[in-house]
Amino acid sequence: MKKNNSLLLSTPYILWMLVFTLIPLGVVAYYALTDPNTGVFTFSNITQLQLYLPVLGQSIWYSLISALICLVLGYPVAYFIAHQKPVAQKILYMLVMLPMCMSFLLRTLAWVGLLQDTGIINNLLSAIGLPRLQLIRTPAAVILGMVYNYLPYMILPLYAVIVKIDKRLIEAAEDLGCTPVKVFTKVVLPLSVPGILSGVTMVFVPAVSTFYISQKLGGIDTVLIGDAIERLFKQANNPNLGAALSLVLMALVFICTGIMNRFGSDEEGGVIV
Amino acid sequence: MSKELIRLQDLVMEFDGEQILDGINLTINDHEFLTLLGPSGCGKTTTLRIIGGFLNPTSGDVFFDGKRINDVPPYDRQINTVFQRYALFPHLDVYDNIAFGLKVAKLPKAQIHERVQEMLAVVGLKGYENRRTDSLSGGQQQRVAIARALVNRPKVLLLDEPLAALDLRLRKDMQNELKRIQQAMGITFVYVTHDQEEALSMSDTVIVMDKGRIQQIGKPEDIYNEPQNAFVADFIGESNILDGVMLADYKVKFFGRTFKCLDAGFAPNEPVDVVIRPEDIDFVPPEEGHLTGTVTSVTFKGLNYDIIVDFKGFKWLIQTTDHQAVGSTVGIRLNPEDIHIMHKSEYSGMFGDYSSYSAEYDELTEDADDEEE
Amino acid sequence: MKRTNRIFTILIFIFLYIPMAVLIVASFNTGKDITSFDGFTLQQYVRLFRDEKLLRLLGNSVLISVLASGISTMFGTMAAVGIHGLKPKMRKAVMSLTNIPMTNPDIVTGISLSLLFVFIGGKLLGQKESLTFWTLLIAHVTFNLPYVILNVMPKLQQMNPALQDAAMDLGCTPVQAFFKVTLHEIMPGMIAGAIMAFTMSLDDFVISYFVTGSDFMTLPVKIYSETKKPIQPKIYAMFTLLFLLILVLMITMNLIQIRGEQNKHKRRATADSKYARLAKRIGAFALAAVLVLGVGLLIFQGRSSTVTLNVYNWGQNIADGSDETMDIIAEFEKRYPDIKVNYITYASNEELYSKLSTGGITVDVIIPSDYMIARLKNEGMLEELNFENIPNYALVDDSFKNQHFDPENKYSVPYTWGTVGILYNTKYVAEEDVTGWDLLWNKKYTDKILMFDNSRDAFGIAQFLLGYSINTTDKTQLQACADKLKEQKPILQQYVMDQVYDLMENEVAWIAPYYAGDCMAMMQNNEDLAFYLPVDQGFNFFIDSMCIPTCCQEKDAAELFINFMCDPEISGANMDYIWYGSPVSEAKQHMDPVLAESDVVYPDQTVLDNGTSFAFLPEEISRYMETLFMQVRNS
Repeated sequence: MKKNNSLLLSTPYILWMLVFTLIPLGVVAYYALTDPNTGVFTFSNITQLQLYLPVLGQSIWYSLISALICLVLGYPVAYFIAHQKPVAQKILYMLVMLPMCMSFLLRTLAWVGLLQDTGIINNLLSAIGLPRLQLIRTPAAVILGMVYNYLPYMILPLYAVIVKIDKRLIEAAEDLGCTPVKVFTKVVLPLSVPGILSGVTMVFVPAVSTFYISQKLGGIDTVLIGDAIERLFKQANNPNLGAALSLVLMALVFICTGIMNRFGSDEEGGVIV
Repeated sequence: MSKELIRLQDLVMEFDGEQILDGINLTINDHEFLTLLGPSGCGKTTTLRIIGGFLNPTSGDVFFDGKRINDVPPYDRQINTVFQRYALFPHLDVYDNIAFGLKVAKLPKAQIHERVQEMLAVVGLKGYENRRTDSLSGGQQQRVAIARALVNRPKVLLLDEPLAALDLRLRKDMQNELKRIQQAMGITFVYVTHDQEEALSMSDTVIVMDKGRIQQIGKPEDIYNEPQNAFVADFIGESNILDGVMLADYKVKFFGRTFKCLDAGFAPNEPVDVVIRPEDIDFVPPEEGHLTGTVTSVTFKGLNYDIIVDFKGFKWLIQTTDHQAVGSTVGIRLNPEDIHIMHKSEYSGMFGDYSSYSAEYDELTEDADDEEE
Repeated sequence: MKRTNRIFTILIFIFLYIPMAVLIVASFNTGKDITSFDGFTLQQYVRLFRDEKLLRLLGNSVLISVLASGISTMFGTMAAVGIHGLKPKMRKAVMSLTNIPMTNPDIVTGISLSLLFVFIGGKLLGQKESLTFWTLLIAHVTFNLPYVILNVMPKLQQMNPALQDAAMDLGCTPVQAFFKVTLHEIMPGMIAGAIMAFTMSLDDFVISYFVTGSDFMTLPVKIYSETKKPIQPKIYAMFTLLFLLILVLMITMNLIQIRGEQNKHKRRATADSKYARLAKRIGAFALAAVLVLGVGLLIFQGRSSTVTLNVYNWGQNIADGSDETMDIIAEFEKRYPDIKVNYITYASNEELYSKLSTGGITVDVIIPSDYMIARLKNEGMLEELNFENIPNYALVDDSFKNQHFDPENKYSVPYTWGTVGILYNTKYVAEEDVTGWDLLWNKKYTDKILMFDNSRDAFGIAQFLLGYSINTTDKTQLQACADKLKEQKPILQQYVMDQVYDLMENEVAWIAPYYAGDCMAMMQNNEDLAFYLPVDQGFNFFIDSMCIPTCCQEKDAAELFINFMCDPEISGANMDYIWYGSPVSEAKQHMDPVLAESDVVYPDQTVLDNGTSFAFLPEEISRYMETLFMQVRNS
């Protein structure tokens, strides 16, 4: 009786997800393997992909750097939040989450205003007599945009893991003769590995596929794979090649998350924000 | 006695190819306090859930008042349950928890009020109506759970390890309380526990279960005094169980000696299990004893000493108020009424040897049993 | 150690909040520029609340978020309860299915859904319009569902399973037991899931961008498409208000939570639990009300008795009332009260083509460029116009008639026209260097030169420079052009389209090829800018014309609109905003004299004779060109 109810309740959802997530991926594969003009089966889209290898490499490289920077910046913050009083924790948690709820486009545009050659930072610099700097249209600006936008995705899972570390374990380590540094490297850090993995994944995935950040903050050489895909769909009218490129991106992301899952203990659901 | 109320017939339950119940046949009478007793995984809770209607048996039938109720859902059965760890609704206060069933049944408000007040009086929780359940002590929560079930005036109350989460003292008080309530309400209680003492002190009938089968049905005294196999003998109290041979009626041979006993009806020279309760054994000077052995350990237990004696390499537990020094040689005498003979069973040889005895043994098993299902 | 960590954390929070502070400050700015604060004003807020179009877009965003989060909360909760009861193996399989949209990059999700809708709706069902409000809603529900499920599942797992048994034991049917007991236990998860889904929906841009059809646009998609002119400060005002709203929401939620936890520790909780119950009821009521309102609004929108005319135009290619121009659409609706205009935009001819050819949308009026008109006509995607309904066509200059893309004047009515030339800053660029397209290859101006970020215009310039036809189909010639462009890349600052405004007006870049009308507009904002047309080498001359696609539903209204746009007064007013040339000479009398007398916008006919317009290239060639251009960009 109970089992039938469960099936009854979950079947519409399963169907929905099959139709709107799995089948669309099949359609993407279909487009990727057909010719844009004739619609017949072809591998030509796949062979053309080598043109995009540098772009792909660059996307991965930038996203990895961003994820690492997010980790380095996010860990102390998560650690700090996790060691506050409960009420302060709630407030700080909320403050980390709040930017995620605000318009991603406008916040990125604000960075354009800050970094522009005639932007706020450069205006300040010249006001105090310093030379203006080339800030925008650099790889650094793209990475900054990624770090800024996805830092909360690093802090929140890290916090969720660090806050659960049993304080008695730290006391036990101290009792067994660990210095504070050793407590951190031998106990706290190993125990936060699941949070680190999930944080790195959650930064890497949106970063590697972004196209807005690089368009607004990047320069002539900061074309990312997201830009290339958007271009193929919206300007070049070549959805077939775009679909092939999307498949590559998807495969990349699934391989990454697969590796992450393998390293971490694969708990059901994992850490969610 | 009184008339039959529930009958379980050839119940079989399988989960993912695993046999949980293996042919349960059982009759529960009206006004009876019946206890299902057994270690964790023995199928007692499964049996209870089948009676409650939460599980459907793989095969076999459940009869209530002579009618087959296999397909009657729990909400249509005149049976209520006190759940393990109570399962009180956390979003409702005490009053609303107790009134829950009545409200679902859409009784008039005044009547609900009257019956809830009545139940609060029965369980001694007057004045607690508006308390949140998580602000109550374990014993109080227990009473709410009982009141919530009984307020619906069921014919049968099922209790699934209701006292497991209480500390020892409270458990003793609640045992008396439950017995009192059962007698006051005059309904049938089906009680599930792994605690033999609880079972023996409260029940009219005890059903000992293991491995999905009923091992023995009987009054508490009978179960204790006349265990039917090594499992029951070991599970109910402590037992030294020995291999023996029934030479003839009233004559049994073990440890190379022939003893008189009170049992008859076995085949000549049938191998049997011999049960000797630790408290039935008396020490005598070595030269007067039927058997002599060496004391290997002595533990003070308050009421008595637990003494382990090595008889030719087989270790017995003896409970006595006489202190014996470790290493001393002692003798024992066995009277015919101290010796209980059982047929050999699948459990033979598994229990009754105290070679690895330790004082914490009991506690460990009890902890493990808490995690039933 | 602890102190440094505190300081570090504060710094990170400053980093997280600085851009938002910039936007909030900008909302009180009298000036338009985000980078300089000219003075305090609340005017932007007044403008925001007067801007019906903007509010409607916001309403659209809120509507889709409310509906999507509401539906996915109910649907997802139901599913979570079902999944929870499944066998472990099955449950694991379903959960990995749930994780797909979570792990998949948004852009892939957006693309896969848009391809699916186009594939099923367009190819299989033969629908004319396969991307609609409903497909957008489906997409939002799909990416919201996992958030709800991942929030509700843990609550179900934490819940004591005996509670449900207890309810059934006390007489509840399974359904009653769910509503009386389970629902209360999983409510916090549902609320958290709903809020997360709502914010995700409200802010989603990537998926909506690919799935949006013609009938419904959300605010983020609109903001993305508006790249030509700087963001209007009233949008910052809206940002500020949304920021406050979300801040207040989050604080209240936290307060409720903190209070609830304190109550747990207190023993007497009668009054509070009553409050909590009341609060829950109010919450449920509010949710229901918002849902009903949403659906009502939708039905109301759908049921308006007037004719809805879908106009599909380039971004920021019609006067919209800003900067003291005429609001053309409002004017049209005023003149024809029975017609409501739904105005949507595209970024390129190719986007227009792909939306039309895949059957993504249905529109009534489109405004493609010359070569695209030829293509649409060849592929039978244009309706013949009924010129009896367009008497103003007589006012269009003959020089814009009988063009190669529509020799018999059957399908198109010119909207604007223009040339492509070089915009340069006279402060930095020596006059003697301005000799032709070569300027764009002049190493002297390394890192100050911009270039078209679209293959056709970029190759066009190389073709003029190399003396090839801009309509060549010779692959070796195209390869030579690509090599020429590769040679140029190291000295370029950026490939741009509409960002050219920002970069040239602020003198970040000094030289850029662009459309004359836009150059004219930029020259109004920076008087050091000048326009140069390489008459001898040749230049591109283009006409954007109004056409009616075969998917049109309201042909009469569409023709009314086309006629209206040819009205000299309207056309003139329109040009005041977009700064292109009007094909209606008489319109010059109604426009800003600066524009009417400009030889940038209205060069001599002798000059114009040297211009060439783009012809339609075979698909294979345009793809080849795009691939070459990609190679250039990635080199």
